[in-house]
Amino acid sequence: MKSTIKNIFYTLSITALTLQANAQEPNQIFKASGSPANPKVQVSWNKYYDYEGHVEIAKKLAKAYPDLVKVQVIGKTAQGRDLILLAITDYKSGGDPDRKPGMYIDGNIHSNEIQGSEFASYTAWYLAESFGDTPFIKELLHDKIFYIVPSINPDGRDNFIHEPNNANSPRSGMIAVDNDRDGQINEDGFDDLDKDGSITMMRRKDPNGRYKLDPTDPRRMVRVEADEKGEYEMLGYEGIDNDGDGKVNEDGEGFYDPNRDWAWNWQPNYIQGGAFKYPFSLPENRAVADFVMKHPNIAAAQSYHNNGGMILRGPGAAEDEGTYNREDVRVYDALGKKGEELIPGYKYLVVYKDLYSVFGGELDWFYGNRGIYTFSNELWNNFLMYDKPDEDPQASAYKFDKYLLFKDAFVDWKPYKHPQYGDIEIGGFKKNYGRMHPGFLLESDAHRNMAFTIYHAYHTPKLEITAIDVKDLGNGLKQVTATIYNDRMMPTHASQDRKYHIEVPDVVSLSGAKVLAGMIVEDKDMNIATEQKTDPTNIKLDNIPGLDKVMVRWIVSGGSKFTVKVDSKKGGIIEKTL
Amino acid sequence: MQKITVLSLLFLTVSLGVSAQDYSNYSSLTSRAKALEKKYPTLVKVKSLTQTLGNKDIWMLTIGTGNTSEKPAIAVVGGVEGAHLLGVELAIGFAEQLLAQSGTDSIKTLLDKQTFYVFPNMSPDASEQYFTKLKYARSGNARATDDDRDGKTNEDPFEDLNGDGKITMMRIEDPTGEWLISEEDARVMVKADFSKGQKGKYLLLSEGMDNDKDGVFNEDGEGGVAFNKNMSYNYPNFVSGSGEHMVSEKENRALLDFLFEAFNVYAVVSFGPYNNLSAPVSFNKAGVGKRIISSWYKEDADVNELVSKSYNKLVKEKNAPATTGTPGNFAEWAYFHYGRFSFSTPGWWVPESKPDTTLKQKALTEKNGEANYLRWAEQQKASNFFTPWTVVKHPDFPEQKVEVGGVDPFAMINPPYTMVASIVKEHTEFIEALAKMAPEIETANLKIEKLDGGLTRISLDVINKGAMATQTKVGEKTNWVKDIHVALKSNGQMITGKANQTISAIPGYGSEHLTWLVKASGKATLTLESPSNGKKIISINL
Repeated sequence: MKSTIKNIFYTLSITALTLQANAQEPNQIFKASGSPANPKVQVSWNKYYDYEGHVEIAKKLAKAYPDLVKVQVIGKTAQGRDLILLAITDYKSGGDPDRKPGMYIDGNIHSNEIQGSEFASYTAWYLAESFGDTPFIKELLHDKIFYIVPSINPDGRDNFIHEPNNANSPRSGMIAVDNDRDGQINEDGFDDLDKDGSITMMRRKDPNGRYKLDPTDPRRMVRVEADEKGEYEMLGYEGIDNDGDGKVNEDGEGFYDPNRDWAWNWQPNYIQGGAFKYPFSLPENRAVADFVMKHPNIAAAQSYHNNGGMILRGPGAAEDEGTYNREDVRVYDALGKKGEELIPGYKYLVVYKDLYSVFGGELDWFYGNRGIYTFSNELWNNFLMYDKPDEDPQASAYKFDKYLLFKDAFVDWKPYKHPQYGDIEIGGFKKNYGRMHPGFLLESDAHRNMAFTIYHAYHTPKLEITAIDVKDLGNGLKQVTATIYNDRMMPTHASQDRKYHIEVPDVVSLSGAKVLAGMIVEDKDMNIATEQKTDPTNIKLDNIPGLDKVMVRWIVSGGSKFTVKVDSKKGGIIEKTL
Repeated sequence: MQKITVLSLLFLTVSLGVSAQDYSNYSSLTSRAKALEKKYPTLVKVKSLTQTLGNKDIWMLTIGTGNTSEKPAIAVVGGVEGAHLLGVELAIGFAEQLLAQSGTDSIKTLLDKQTFYVFPNMSPDASEQYFTKLKYARSGNARATDDDRDGKTNEDPFEDLNGDGKITMMRIEDPTGEWLISEEDARVMVKADFSKGQKGKYLLLSEGMDNDKDGVFNEDGEGGVAFNKNMSYNYPNFVSGSGEHMVSEKENRALLDFLFEAFNVYAVVSFGPYNNLSAPVSFNKAGVGKRIISSWYKEDADVNELVSKSYNKLVKEKNAPATTGTPGNFAEWAYFHYGRFSFSTPGWWVPESKPDTTLKQKALTEKNGEANYLRWAEQQKASNFFTPWTVVKHPDFPEQKVEVGGVDPFAMINPPYTMVASIVKEHTEFIEALAKMAPEIETANLKIEKLDGGLTRISLDVINKGAMATQTKVGEKTNWVKDIHVALKSNGQMITGKANQTISAIPGYGSEHLTWLVKASGKATLTLESPSNGKKIISINL
């Protein structure tokens, strides 16, 4: 059965990636606004791809757009797959690509939360395919670089897709863990008793049960009222007690949570459930962390999860509240609130306050350890599903399946003889329903979320030397004053960065004359400045704030042509000569 | 011919190693480890866990017999702190002395029952600094770090201004200085005490220049990340020597990768600055009440107290200074994050000196560690422990009087080498005594009651023969300590009780009662097993 599923999947991928290219002639196509009409790389965005499928999309983009997309392997997964990253920028202009302000994007850190990969790959595809005819994207890729890891957890992704699972499994990665600590590993996981590729539910007729069939849709089980007699009992997910310990499905795949593995306020698994051995003991996360540390130009980041329609920022843990201070929260708020406008139904929230308090999350490491403004979007919410906001979401789910998906998302109840429970029935929603987008809604939400990350990336620093003023001081001395402006919302150093000196200061250098003294001008009108006594040629700035300017001044002797250079890890390198 | 030369050279190195007059550098430590493997091939395996960035192997010695990974084990860790050379000596010395006794009945029995993993030096990049041309107390490995976060790495190292091959201190006469020469001992500098109306006269800095002209001296020299600052418990973010993030270093990762899979380890003994052996940890109820616990659990602290008593019986040196776990340290990690009993000691500390009445010395009143040390070292007739203050020319202080001198690096935490052998002996005895307290599962009171209708009731007590609990209280909560797995196999039907079940912590000398009702006949097998507590198989006739 498993191989049949794989075959079907394989056929689908082939259809999507190759056959469709010839479906219509270019002259038969009329462009819909905002979407690449006749892309070089044909991808159908109303279905999901396994990891190899995403690698394939990446390779085709790199082949079709060698000056825009480069694919690199940044590490190996636990099971030995190549972990790939797409670096997308205009390699022909804008200088050293790895010195442009960077936006990092990944998806699928939880194995079952797979659509983040489609959203990430859609972003890569859209940027490459729109570069030619969308001036905004052209300018964006001149200024910025996108680092996209379509799946940060490829082993888990393929397990979710190719093995029997439910919508919630596996959340874990694939390294075996002895959850019940009995010395045996993964010895009691789910069992796909009806061999249909999905782990659905088990129910049994029982006059003492507390469930009955919903009269409006008999597929659905509802709890009886307190004074009512029931007909069924629910027995949990499909499975048997494989190891004879009286428990069903208690030691399956994993369990650890790759999003509890990050080295900021990390805590062990008895404090923070899901933590693995030590921070970055998971090879996939370590590969990403190593990459990020080698790329201090990354100023912004997004990691895609599901579900609930949320734009989340840290802190993850209540204990970390002080880490996010007012100055940085202003930037987060401006971005997050814009996100709410761009993605209707999504709410901008803070993890520890609005969700749960959690240690060792990816977004906390990116911000706390690296000073990178980071969001995690929880993709998909009921708002997109069935327009009856006040109705019980479970009831809506059944109606949506019935009227829009024509019952494609449900496995009908069928009798089964269970070795421990006897005569039972098995049925319920398939694993691709409930947390994942139905096909026809996938592309639209991918686009909206991408638009949010583009807005986020757009607001990484953009530096400009707006003026170089020279004043003659007599005796052969000149005063050279340079004004440096940051034309975007994010500062070159988040306040967390400044607090711990995570990144080195921005350096403003003067060449073309002998520098006698150098200073940062605090107030030009009142002539208040702070002198930098050592190495005055290279003035160090703690920060260049967002949508604000900094003035630097030198007293020089000689020279008539002055070149000012700004070297900022997160703001890039710029130069101007007067 | 050549072979013979190599062999005799090897032999020479080995014998030199054993009768060495000084602490072991990397290559002589390597020879000592390999010599053990050669001498006791059935008892020792030497393996490199990883290579440091300084291209030095992190050695691991597995000492035991048979299937060592299935026997309860103690991990012994030295070189926790790079400047603490004694820690390396204690770990490798333990291995040598234990094996030297391997012919005796008691050690033979011990090595049949238990395994010892010895990691003699976790900081080989740092400790090697003692043996190089320029000696300075170093904790960090060979990673090039930007300790002052100015964008440059290792740009402001120490300089040996007086050319004596070691880095001590320098004092500069300066009206802004906060330091004075001690009234009790003119070699010692003390901070001016405002409450006594004292005003400082000297700046006191480490020996060197301000190479990067940032106003701070020697803050970014060679010496990267410290093993004992890089662990995940109470980790200090963005502190010099702590690394870019928790557990970032190869040494730390390699050790943890090994330990987390070594489910047979029930205790970790480390030789480093932290000391919970001279005095045990004290239980703090509030500390276990929070989400992030900061105190040992009561049950575990009780075990620590018992172990500490045993330590103080065997180790003569008393009055150890109280220590607190420094941020990111290994010993506390081993309890709080690894979930094992963790015992740590520096092995030696400067004894309290007594005034020499023949020299008309008075008791020291200033409670100054250096003054006490100098008096003690003189009485021991130690050498190489103090550099007299001498005037040097210093380009950063061209107009001022600058003197270099002070207590030598390494001196105050490493005893004169002549004392090492007896310290190693005491600590070897301690670890052997600790191994006797190991948890061990045993069964008692097995009852097989025949009931009507072919039913049989089986019951027994699972007993912990050891003084230490079968696992720590904190270990009970983690995925990284195994429970005792109990399996009953029979040909029949289980009426009550489980075919497979687990037992978590059984306290020292404690027990757990188990019972089954089965409808079966013939032979049944009961297996009790935990990697850190041993294995027991019982055959039952029904």
